Amino acid sequence: MSLLSVQQLDAGYGDLQILTDVDMEVGKSEYITIVGPNGAGKSTVMKSVFGLTTYMGGEIVFDDRDIAGEQPEDIISYGLSFVPQSNNVFEPLTVTENLKMGAYTLDQFPEERLQAVYDRFPILETRSEQKAGTLSGGQQQMLAMGRALMLDPDLLLLDEPSAGLAPDLVDEMFDRIDEINDAGTAVLLVEQNAKEALRRCDRGYVLVQGQNRHEDSGEALLNDQQVREDFLGG
Amino acid sequence: MAARDYYSRGQNLLYNRPVLVIFAVIGVFLVFDILRQLGTGTIVVTDLMSYLWNGLVLGMSLGLAGVGLSMTYSILNFANFAHGDLITSGAFAGWATAFLIAGLGEFSVEALVLIGGPIAVGSNELGINVVNTPLALLAGLLVAAALTAVLSLLLDRIVFKPMRSADGVTLMIASVGVALFLRNFLTFSFLTDSRGLTGGNVPQFTIADVTFGGHQITLVVVAALLMLGTHILLQYTKIGMAMRAMAANKDLAKVTGIPTERVVKLTWIIGGGLTGCAGFLIALQQGTLTVTMGWDLLLLVFAAVILGGVGSIYGAMVGGVILGIASRLALVWIPASFLLVAAFVIMIVMLLVRPSGLFSGRTTA
Repeated sequence: MSLLSVQQLDAGYGDLQILTDVDMEVGKSEYITIVGPNGAGKSTVMKSVFGLTTYMGGEIVFDDRDIAGEQPEDIISYGLSFVPQSNNVFEPLTVTENLKMGAYTLDQFPEERLQAVYDRFPILETRSEQKAGTLSGGQQQMLAMGRALMLDPDLLLLDEPSAGLAPDLVDEMFDRIDEINDAGTAVLLVEQNAKEALRRCDRGYVLVQGQNRHEDSGEALLNDQQVREDFLGG
Repeated sequence: MAARDYYSRGQNLLYNRPVLVIFAVIGVFLVFDILRQLGTGTIVVTDLMSYLWNGLVLGMSLGLAGVGLSMTYSILNFANFAHGDLITSGAFAGWATAFLIAGLGEFSVEALVLIGGPIAVGSNELGINVVNTPLALLAGLLVAAALTAVLSLLLDRIVFKPMRSADGVTLMIASVGVALFLRNFLTFSFLTDSRGLTGGNVPQFTIADVTFGGHQITLVVVAALLMLGTHILLQYTKIGMAMRAMAANKDLAKVTGIPTERVVKLTWIIGGGLTGCAGFLIALQQGTLTVTMGWDLLLLVFAAVILGGVGSIYGAMVGGVILGIASRLALVWIPASFLLVAAFVIMIVMLLVRPSGLFSGRTTA
């Protein structure tokens, strides 16, 4: 029984179609990576699931509910959270305020979730009253993830979380994602750092020119001669 | 060593920011000139104090009027030229209400609602002022806020919402159209002649030869309370936080689950309410009202907002007060008829020295 099921999705921006007949499945607590060359539409898949693109056809079913064409503010309350690639914190707001905004859709503020996020990212608790704009790149990325975890989502969409991070922070970022996934949250990840992402995930999709090209376990994709030559640099 | 540090820092500043240095020198010179004139007795302390007080009154007017403008700018990203006429609309709505309550029974409803107009209702006979008819004024203030909020919402629904994805310039031009529509609608209803509003003996206090008018005090106190309220709303409420979040990053606000259209509506309601209050209070302090009141004030309000940093709500408050005080203080050197010149010189200097305004980079917060 899959958590997210995308069937024959067509989507794009305005009149420009990017995705054609994209299929994708994410099971409960599964860790899925989308890899592919630049401009393949990896981020577009994610944004389409979250209602941020122009929907042009196909099916997006999350938790037995058809969410195609719905608004992000509704989708987020079904148990999906999205961390955009850049500009993903409210810079003039404090760390705590950023996290509070993550739980905006709830009537009652979930104090225990705030503590859970602080337990996962202790640095955020020590910086809680600091403006998000003053945090380092890695800390901002943690804050963005923390914000997305405030609603305890069933599925976390991560758009290139390692982009712009110093090399030594990239590994830590992947460890964090593993921890989040181990705690039971399904993860759908788009990464430029394809090898590392495929090494860590359960399954991967290779997307080329807005279409599915390969689908297999991360391990198998890593060892696939065709995939290696095309995207992983041999 | 320290002296050399200062010297090289000064040298750097002179090379990198010559304009800033020139204006800083002029500023220091002006401060010393005030002290010199005080010393030689060319101006007396009383004059200086009354310039400061009148400057504060003007500043609070501009600041309060600027908050709404800054709010719509920060959330919707366009300069709303209809803002001035929203100020006027609020003033007329509020004063029609105040007249109605103060004069009901004595004069015809029509004459009162039209604030005199073609049918003579002398403001002296009504005797509206803060001591005689506080309830009529309070009701007027509330109606001014409510009606301007509703009007803002309505204009958003009809004009701005269908253009939500348009760029700032397009929206700005649309707002000029809205401004003309509002002003002509008001002219159609209320004609263009100036109305006297207040009457009776307006109380005033004189402390050390400086006169504090009752309505000036009312304006400063109410405006300060409203600004404090705005501050509390922005900093300590969920919706205020969402407004700041949306001002900072609209796309992220959307993915975070903040209902952006609802925040936009609330921005119009709060911004409109404050704008209506500003219009009502400015008219109260002036004692007169014309259909061009807000439009005439708009450039100064823009100057205040630019001074503070466009889109920063606190910047609008501070910018207004600075502009008000500085332009009145300029009376030390120039005649009163050049007051606007002083205000705009300050704005131009600000744009040259720090184009992003005093509170730049601190949008809203």
